[in-house]
Amino acid sequence: MKRRSFNGSALAAAALAATGRRAFAQGQAFNWRAHDGQTVNLMFNNHPWSQAMRELAGDFTALTGIRARMEIFNEEQFRARLTTLMQGRSSDLDAYMTLTSREGAIFHRAGWYADLAPMLADRALTAPDYNYEDFGASIREASTFGRQVVAVPINQEGPLFYWRKDVFERLGIAEPRTLEDLLTAAETIKAREPSQGVWAARGIRSVVPYALAGFVFNMGGSFALPDGKPGLAQPNTVRGLELYAKLLRDYGPPGALNHTFTQVTELLGQGRIAMTHESSNEFANITRFPNRAQDLGVKVLPPGRESGISKPVAIGWTIAISAHSRRQQAAWLFLQWATSRDVQGKLVRAGVAPPRASVFEGPEFNAWASEMPIRRAWANALIELGRTGTGVYQTPTDRIPEARDLIGGVIQQIVQGRATPLDAARAADTELAKLQ
Amino acid sequence: MARARLSSSFHWMAAPAVIFAAGMIVFPFGYAIWLSLSDVALGADPRFIGLGNFARLLADEEFWNGLRLTLFLYVVSLSLQLVLGTWLGLLLARSRSAQGLVRTIMVSPFMLPPVVVGMMAIVILDPSFGIANWLLEQAGLPPGLWLSDPDTVMLTIAALDTWQWTPFVALIVMGGYLSLPQDVFEAAEIDGANGWWRFRRVTLPLLAPTLITAAVLRSVDILRFFDIIYLTTQGGPGTASTTLNILAYRRGFEFFDLGYASAIMVTLSAIVFGSVLVFTRLRRAVTW
Repeated sequence: MKRRSFNGSALAAAALAATGRRAFAQGQAFNWRAHDGQTVNLMFNNHPWSQAMRELAGDFTALTGIRARMEIFNEEQFRARLTTLMQGRSSDLDAYMTLTSREGAIFHRAGWYADLAPMLADRALTAPDYNYEDFGASIREASTFGRQVVAVPINQEGPLFYWRKDVFERLGIAEPRTLEDLLTAAETIKAREPSQGVWAARGIRSVVPYALAGFVFNMGGSFALPDGKPGLAQPNTVRGLELYAKLLRDYGPPGALNHTFTQVTELLGQGRIAMTHESSNEFANITRFPNRAQDLGVKVLPPGRESGISKPVAIGWTIAISAHSRRQQAAWLFLQWATSRDVQGKLVRAGVAPPRASVFEGPEFNAWASEMPIRRAWANALIELGRTGTGVYQTPTDRIPEARDLIGGVIQQIVQGRATPLDAARAADTELAKLQ
Repeated sequence: MARARLSSSFHWMAAPAVIFAAGMIVFPFGYAIWLSLSDVALGADPRFIGLGNFARLLADEEFWNGLRLTLFLYVVSLSLQLVLGTWLGLLLARSRSAQGLVRTIMVSPFMLPPVVVGMMAIVILDPSFGIANWLLEQAGLPPGLWLSDPDTVMLTIAALDTWQWTPFVALIVMGGYLSLPQDVFEAAEIDGANGWWRFRRVTLPLLAPTLITAAVLRSVDILRFFDIIYLTTQGGPGTASTTLNILAYRRGFEFFDLGYASAIMVTLSAIVFGSVLVFTRLRRAVTW
C-alpha cells in the first residue's frame, strides 16, 4: 500500500515537472526548479489540510527541489506564535495559513501579507496551468483587499446540520425541513427517549458566532442595521439568538458553554447526541466513529419557517506569503503546488473540501462522493454553501475577533439566565458600536 | 594585594554571566513596560502614549473582574496549599513506613506538565462523560458542573492547583521540619505540652521562615497561573475565569491589542513583586 502511494506521488510529481518543462520549452520562463536547494518555513493551524500537507510535502520537494519545513500548532498557539513572529518582522517565516474572513483586514492593514497579484500576473513565476480563476469569484474576493491578492484558498467550509437518521426514524420524527422543526424534534426526543442526548453546539463565546449565524440569518435577522450600525436587537435577530440559546440550554449537554468543535464532534461521534450544527470540516472525523457514516444525515441548516431564508456561513482557510519573507518566490512555488488541481484532488480523500471548481466538479471528487450516500449529501451541502453562503457574520468592523467575541457573549448571557435575549442583544449593540 | 587581584579577576569572570542574565531579564521586562506605555498597532512601530493604557485599565470592567478573580485564586489556593501542605509535610516527616514510596507518589503531581493536568481535568470533570460525576452518582450524590458553572469554576481551578502543588509545599515543610533541632520538641514534651500546644507554640514559629519561603514560591506561580485555565475554560463560562493572565493573552493575541495587554501584565507583575516584598519583610520578622 505504501509502495503504491509512493509510486502515485512520484508519478504526480513527474507529471507536474513535465508540465513545467513543457511550459519552459514553449518559450515561457516558468520553472518549478528555479529555487532548487532552498528551504521554505511554513506555519500552519492544526487542520485536516495541514495534516495532509505534512504527508504530501515529499512530492513538493521531488518536484521543486525545495525543502518545506512545517510547523503545525493548535489554533490558539498558532495565532500567538504568528503574531509574535510577524510583529517582530521575522524573515524566518515564509508562508502561513490565515483566515482572511476573520483577520484579513487587520493583517492587511499591518502589512503582513505579500502581494500575490504581481506574482500571479508574472508568467515567469506562475505555472501556465495554475488557473487562478478556477477558484470561485466569492472565494477570491475574500482574499483580495483593494488590488492586493493576499492569499490563495486551500479549502471551503461552513457549519452544517448533522442529525441521527436512525434516532429520528425510531422515534417517528420527520427530517427537519425548517429551522423551527429543530426545536420540535428536540422536544420529542427528550420526551420519548430521555436517555438519548439531544443537541450540542459551540458554547465558548469566541467560537459561537460561526455556528450561531445560520440561526440568525435563517430567521430573517442580521447582525447589522441597513446603515451598518450594530443590529442584534432586531426582532428576527433576537429570535435567532433565542433559538440557539434555547437549544443549548434546554437540550444541550451540561457544561455546553465550555464546548467547542472538539467536544461537539466527540459527542456526535460517540452517538451521545442526535443533532448538531457543526463544521463541514469535521465530517471526516465524525464519520470515522463506528456507524456514523451509515446513520447520520447532513445538510445545510434548514431555512426559517416564516422567512424561507437559508443563508449559511461559508468561509475558507487560505495560505499567504509573509511580507517579511526573503524567499517569497520559493514560497510562491509552494503555494502554487499546494493549491494546484492535482494536490487538491488528493486532499479530498483527507476530508478537505476543494475550493477549485474543476476539482469539485471533477471525476475524482465525484467518484469519491458516490461511494457513500453521506458523502454525496456532504458534497451537495458544500455546493449549497458555496452558492448561498456568506463569510460575514458580525457587525461591520475591522476588529472582527472582538466583535465575534461580543456576539458569543450574548449567547452565554442568555444560556446562563443572566439577561433576556433582548437585553443581552441591546447591551452587545452598545459595545459593538464602540468597535466601529 | 593578591587577594584584591583575585577578587577583581573574579568579577571579570562573572561579568559575562551577569550581563547575560541582566539582558535576559531586564530587556524583556523593560520592553514590556515600553509597550505598556505605547499604542501598538500591528505592523507599525509602537507610538508613545504615556499612561493612556493604564487609564483604560481603570475604566475597564473586565480588568477589575480579572483582578478580583486573580486575587480570589491567589488567596484560596495559597491558603489551602499552606494549610494542607503543612499538615501533609508534618505527617510525612513523622511517618516511618514506606517513606520512599509515599514521597515518590507525593512528588508526582507537580512533576506533571500543566498541559497534562489540564487535559486530565477536562476528561475527569466533564459533566457529560467525566468520571467525577460518575463517582458522585455511584455514591448517591448530585453531579457537579465543575468548570462549566460560573459559580464553581474558580473553586474548581483552585482545587486543581491545590491538588498539583500541595505536595510541593509538603516537601518544603518536611525538609524544614527535619532540619529543626529536635531537643526543643523533647523539652516541650517534658514540660507537658500537648500536641496542639506544641504545634502552635513550638513547631509553627520554628517553621515560619520555611513556610514563608514556600509562600513566596507559590505566590509567584499562582499569580501567573495561566495554562490550566486556558486549556480547560479559556476564561469562561462568560468571563467567570478570565483572570488577568487570560485577559492579557486574549487582548494581546486574539484582539491584537498588544499595548493594552502589556499594561495588564505590567500591573500583574507589580502585584507579584508587591507580594514577594511583603513575604520577604515578613520572613525577616520571623527569622529566629
